[in-house]
Amino acid sequence: MADPRPSANNGTERNNADHPIDFSMVLASAVHDMKNSLGMLLNSLDDLRASHSEALSETNSFNTLQYEAERVHSDLIQLLGIYRLDEQTLSAHIEEHYVPDFLIEHLARHTPLLEGLGIEYAVDAEDINGFFDDDLLTGVLNNTINNAIRYTRSKIRLTARESEGYLVIGVEDDGQGYPESMQHSGTLSFKSLDFKSGSTSLGLFFASSVASLHNQGERNGRIRLHNGGSLGGGIFEIWIP
Amino acid sequence: MIETAANGHENLFKKLRYLIVDDFDSFRLSMRQMLRSFGAEHIEIASSGGAAIQRCTYEHFDVVLCDYNLGEGKNGQHILEELRHKKLLKRTSLFLMVTAETSKEMVMGAREYQPDAYLTKPINRAMLEKRLSSLVEQRRALLPINRAIDLENYPEAISLCIQSLPKLPKYKTWLLKTLADLYQQVGDFSHARKIYEEVLSQRDLSWARLGKGKVLLAEQQLDEAIATLKSLVADHPDYIEGYDLLAEAQAQQGKLSLAQNTLRKATELSPNALLRQKHLADVAQSNQDMTAASDAWRKTVQLGAHSIHDCADHYLGLGRALCDLSEGDTSEAGRAYADEALSTLNRMEKRFAETPEVVVRSRLVQSRVNLGQGKTAEAEKCLQTVATDLEDAVSLSADTGIEYAKTLFRMGRAGEAKHLLARLAEKHEHDNDLLQQIESLLDEPVSYRQRMEARDLNRVGIKAFESGALEEAAEAFGKALEIVPSHASLNLNLVQVLMKVYSDNPEQRAALADCDRRLAELSDLPEQHRQYRRFVALKKKLEALKHG
Repeated sequence: MADPRPSANNGTERNNADHPIDFSMVLASAVHDMKNSLGMLLNSLDDLRASHSEALSETNSFNTLQYEAERVHSDLIQLLGIYRLDEQTLSAHIEEHYVPDFLIEHLARHTPLLEGLGIEYAVDAEDINGFFDDDLLTGVLNNTINNAIRYTRSKIRLTARESEGYLVIGVEDDGQGYPESMQHSGTLSFKSLDFKSGSTSLGLFFASSVASLHNQGERNGRIRLHNGGSLGGGIFEIWIP
Repeated sequence: MIETAANGHENLFKKLRYLIVDDFDSFRLSMRQMLRSFGAEHIEIASSGGAAIQRCTYEHFDVVLCDYNLGEGKNGQHILEELRHKKLLKRTSLFLMVTAETSKEMVMGAREYQPDAYLTKPINRAMLEKRLSSLVEQRRALLPINRAIDLENYPEAISLCIQSLPKLPKYKTWLLKTLADLYQQVGDFSHARKIYEEVLSQRDLSWARLGKGKVLLAEQQLDEAIATLKSLVADHPDYIEGYDLLAEAQAQQGKLSLAQNTLRKATELSPNALLRQKHLADVAQSNQDMTAASDAWRKTVQLGAHSIHDCADHYLGLGRALCDLSEGDTSEAGRAYADEALSTLNRMEKRFAETPEVVVRSRLVQSRVNLGQGKTAEAEKCLQTVATDLEDAVSLSADTGIEYAKTLFRMGRAGEAKHLLARLAEKHEHDNDLLQQIESLLDEPVSYRQRMEARDLNRVGIKAFESGALEEAAEAFGKALEIVPSHASLNLNLVQVLMKVYSDNPEQRAALADCDRRLAELSDLPEQHRQYRRFVALKKKLEALKHG
């Protein structure tokens, strides 16, 4: 029997008759679920590490477990972000934040793993306030820090400074640095993603999209990848107007 | 670089009183261990919403760490709303919501109260320490201001904010937001507006645009308010507060169907805020869109299960909307509406057994539901159960009185209904809202379906009149009046048509006689009726026509 209550949205219903499943929505809600589950899993990993620190310091497989789980978690957050970008429900809610606190709090999330891996870490931020959407930037930072953990040799450094009227947040490491082909400055289009190579740069696409959601007058946010800095490895920078 | 726990912040954390709310034992334990390791001493725990509220009733806490998802029963947002609503949590205290979700999705649910911070799981010790220490530091820096606000000493809070602005640049946004709120609180809208405009001249920030919209609304500059808020939600389609305020402005401008549309969008984005659903239900009801109204009331009732905002009126709203939809419809769909109405009202009687007049109002609506399904005997029986309460109906609340009059009309006891309404109008002669309700009921004492039919005919008549098709217009108004013979504006519409018929063609003297009959129908029209002046004007014009 037909539902006695007419739906408010007849348009969608008609579409559904042709396409019984809105696959991207199914995916998004599955991703949402997985992300929450992984959050719980990561919580348990932190607990485990705290209560078995002696035994776990012997083996590296626990670090791998945590690192990979973190990576999937931040990938899922980005997927959701890109879904909302596509649905055009994602906009930047820009508020003023005290940058050193923001960076210190976000690096803190990674400290158990960094310590487990024996990676040195530091925050080197000017005493400034910045205007940005902290949720969006959290996603970008988590992913970038994960990346740095993967490619660094022994050190990670978060920086913040003011330059040319932009807030520049940087993540530096002392690894090999970015290959020539990846170094660039500006924004990435979806077309530039290469799904054939192992790394899709989806993270960079997300970071670039987040940067460009931040506008001030004529000036747009952007990302910049290059090598060098005080640690001599790769440098990821997000420039926010 | 990051200094290790305790030593640095020990004093900061030590003196504060903490409450941890979580349904998981292991989480409560690890949270407690983390707090201990920072030097915290007074830590209490609660495993459910009820326990948390109980604790806060008798003890003061400086920091509440509350998990959002607590399984069955109240969630974290319910707890926050109840604590703030009952004033069990001061502004000087911190409420931290712990979620597995990313914060924005949570924020979108709330309409009134938002926590001081969200902590997203996974949470480790280093994170908690950093986050908590910056919050505690902020709390300490802003304590005098929040204390003044807690004491409702707004002038003091305002001058403290102004003094702090140059001293605490780190908290500039907080200070500006709070200052603008305080100015609005004391009714100084121009100063509030100045703050928002100054912020906006530097940078396009949505909170300042929202604030500006709020000030414009308060100053009754509705067009400007609507323009500001419309552009805000166009730029930020997920900024729910923008929709709430826009709907408010549209409603104040009398554009209720636009307001309904705006609220519908907001509830699609954020379906879990009770007050927003209720607002939508109210607006849809005023628009006589009973399908939308019943959907929104249904959600309001569902969301009330664990909320401090739960109220019998929501159940009554749903019962009435379903009653309207089911009246005179004995198809399967109509029966389903009627059944749902009855079960909703029965649940209300149990849930709000202590609330006065709940049973009477429930039975009055139930009686109409039964009548609408042709079950006259059941309807009579329903009324019998509350006969003693109804003996002196005027002494009951005005709402109940109106409810009773509605039921009497449907039972064919129009005389008693009119008598009751007249006495209610007398008793509440200064309550304009109520007088309007009484007028509408006297105009259209019929079922929803018939009311809509009459309104459709009225629209057809007006359109025909405007295009000069007088005969067609007279026929449409005449048909509508068969349904609602005492409807004031419909009668006057017909009179206007007939007078035009006569002045176009003075042969048609019968038209004038019809006019007399129609005006006689309105001879009891009270002076305060919205159509009274039109009635008098048309009466004069008719006399002039007769003698001219």
